[in-house]
Amino acid sequence: MKTIADFNPIVQTLYFLSAALCSMLGMNPVMIVISLVGALLLYILRAEDEKPTGHLFTLLLFAVTALINPLFYHNGATVLLVINNNPITLEATLYGITAGAMIIAVLYHFRSFSKIMTSDRLMYVFGKLSGKFALTLSMTLRYIPLFITQMERVRAAQRTTGQYKDGSIADTVKSDLRVFSVMITWALENGIVTADSMEARGYGTGKRTSFALWRMRRRDVIFLLLILLLVGLQLPALLSGALTFTFYPNIRSLPTSPAAILAYISYGALVLTPSAIECIERAKWKYFVSKI
Amino acid sequence: MEILRVENLSFKYPTGKAPTLKELSFSVNEGEFVVLCGATGSGKSTLLRLLKRELAPLGEKSGSVCYGGRSLEQLDARTAASEIGFVMQRPEQQIAADKVWHELALGLENLGESQDVIRRRCAEMAGYFGIAPWFDRETSKLSGGQKQLLNLAAVMAMNPRVLILDEPTAQLDPIAASDFIGTLLKINRELSLTVIIAEHRLEELIPVCDRLIALDCGEIVADAPPREALPLLASRPALLRMMPAASRLSMALGLETKGEVPLTVREGKRMIEEHYTNKVRSLPAKTPVAPEVNALEFRDVWFRYSQKGEDILRGTSFHVKQGEFFCILGANGSGKTTALGAVAAINRIFSGKIKIFGKQLKDYKNGTLYQSCLAWLPQDPQTLFLRNTLREELKGAEAEAAMLGLDLVKYADTHPYDLSGGEQQLAALARVLSTKPKLLLLDEPTKGLDAASRERITDILRRLRDGGMTILAVTHDAEFAADAADRCALFFRGEIVSTGTPREFFAANSFYTTAANRMTRGHYDGIVTLPEAVEICRLNGEAKA
Repeated sequence: MKTIADFNPIVQTLYFLSAALCSMLGMNPVMIVISLVGALLLYILRAEDEKPTGHLFTLLLFAVTALINPLFYHNGATVLLVINNNPITLEATLYGITAGAMIIAVLYHFRSFSKIMTSDRLMYVFGKLSGKFALTLSMTLRYIPLFITQMERVRAAQRTTGQYKDGSIADTVKSDLRVFSVMITWALENGIVTADSMEARGYGTGKRTSFALWRMRRRDVIFLLLILLLVGLQLPALLSGALTFTFYPNIRSLPTSPAAILAYISYGALVLTPSAIECIERAKWKYFVSKI
Repeated sequence: MEILRVENLSFKYPTGKAPTLKELSFSVNEGEFVVLCGATGSGKSTLLRLLKRELAPLGEKSGSVCYGGRSLEQLDARTAASEIGFVMQRPEQQIAADKVWHELALGLENLGESQDVIRRRCAEMAGYFGIAPWFDRETSKLSGGQKQLLNLAAVMAMNPRVLILDEPTAQLDPIAASDFIGTLLKINRELSLTVIIAEHRLEELIPVCDRLIALDCGEIVADAPPREALPLLASRPALLRMMPAASRLSMALGLETKGEVPLTVREGKRMIEEHYTNKVRSLPAKTPVAPEVNALEFRDVWFRYSQKGEDILRGTSFHVKQGEFFCILGANGSGKTTALGAVAAINRIFSGKIKIFGKQLKDYKNGTLYQSCLAWLPQDPQTLFLRNTLREELKGAEAEAAMLGLDLVKYADTHPYDLSGGEQQLAALARVLSTKPKLLLLDEPTKGLDAASRERITDILRRLRDGGMTILAVTHDAEFAADAADRCALFFRGEIVSTGTPREFFAANSFYTTAANRMTRGHYDGIVTLPEAVEICRLNGEAKA
């Protein structure tokens, strides 16, 4: 199956960044609703096994954001009710709801993103920016578990030699400090072996390349071009402020200039594409299975 | 065709008084499998590092090392890095990347190869070395054997013509070690790759190698095919100790003068059967004098590391008598180290009872367990060291260090990490003995040690046992258990499946047993150690041909 999870990590990063960023500019309710629908759809399609309670946190976040705004900001012309001499306005309420929707839309985009981007995918993206950084990151990620395992071993060994006496916090802290200090020596000592092994394999003999498991395939290029095109179509509206929606003091009507309409359509196409690919691939798979 | 030539090579470390290597000369032909042997401190690591330009130590060097007719210094950086591969001892620390595939690619990335070349080479390596099933895994999640195989594959990815290995199997369990040697042999035979390997464990290497170079105090004392080289070592016990059991037996019986230099168990068995009668089939049994009081009782113990994990100990029960040396043997992952951790109260057991000297483990409060009662020597002695010099580290343990024969004057200001493996083990032992324990727990006490240190540790442990200490050791090393233990037990899937004195235990096992037992099986009964084999052969006398 060729879903969003199988695209080249660079294309994936570009998609999620543009999907999230485009909805954050201008506080336009239409854009935010499109963003939320797209993000939720993809997330639900991909996380089939997740329980409904997984969405509870986002709902709560939405509720808090939507409530806090009208309770603390009293701008706006239309007063709905007055609590403790503080007016609650329609504008502030709507602003809160829009802001809450935007936050959870972005959150869902990034939840999908973090499920797809494993550490080696992320490294590939960083590696494209800087090979040295990618190597350092890989070596660090390698060293952390090594360090932790050794530290656990040292602590276990030290417990039997009279360090870490029961119940005394001061003693535990003292022992931990001792262990940590010897771990630094250990790390340096072992770093030498790693450095030797790197040097023995030709580190520093010339220009390095940075290898990755992923290639730019035809479909990656097509999706990449599609993203660029759809974002490009939104740019006039995003940059000219044609999408900007004003809440205060009075809510104006939604922007409906030709540029804005074009932005709605192209943004909608952008955030719905991954879900569409997902659905098409599933249908294809079902069709194949039914033919067997 | 000659690929490597060493001429009059001498080397002295800046801090050393005497030269480490003295006027060495030898050459290695393409496709040869050369084993370099020598005791710790004989200069074999120094020699191997001098053959690999990037790792050459600093110091006064004279003489030359030529690769393919050109001096090592004249090679361009790419050739030097890629055509001479080097694998080191500790599997963990040579790995630099977090993912297996990235580790394989690392060397080729360093050489600036293109994506397509790297992709093809990684695929080849993964296929050839059987890495494909764990290609996407994190390197920290691999077993020791897998890690070392990955190190080998990562070096092989660069297409070396000479492969140099410095004790690559010292940290592996016997099964992983023998797999690793099998793989080495395969690449030597199939790819005609030149292999130069230094190792302590020579039982499996000597029979397959083309040539044995023996190093003693920086000098070459033998350089010939193993059957010719072995008799030259007769007067050098330090070197002889690391040779295969069959060869040692033949030399102890003086048969090498008759042209008998067996290298394998099969040849050793044939030699015994041809030269010795079997009128006396077994040696008189030694009656154990251990009192019938239990030092440790381990009853129906269950343990798992996490709630959803598998049970590691499944109703394990055993006991260790006071003054006894008890060895637990078993494969990796059978739970033997976990059981030891449970005794040391490092692992909290889920159910069951552990009694130490008649008192329940949980009744030892406030660290009283670790004061004059129980001591634990972990697998990695480095985990015990907290100070920067040996003198500080062994403060309060000077008497123990002296008893173990550790040279505290010479090493006073040395960092514990800079000691050799054997000395680290002794220093760690001195440290744990300073709490005057009655029960000593040992986790793989012979791991990574050379033959001399191994013998030294065995002697010391025997002496401690004779002094009344109870010892519980967990080990892979069947020879060590046969030499030292009063009773042995086999651990499998979290349970003890058999126990007995070394003689009962190893004689009843067919696979998990010592080389001496394998050689005498069928001809004699209940022979498990080499001295026993020598004794019974002498007792029977030579068969008249």
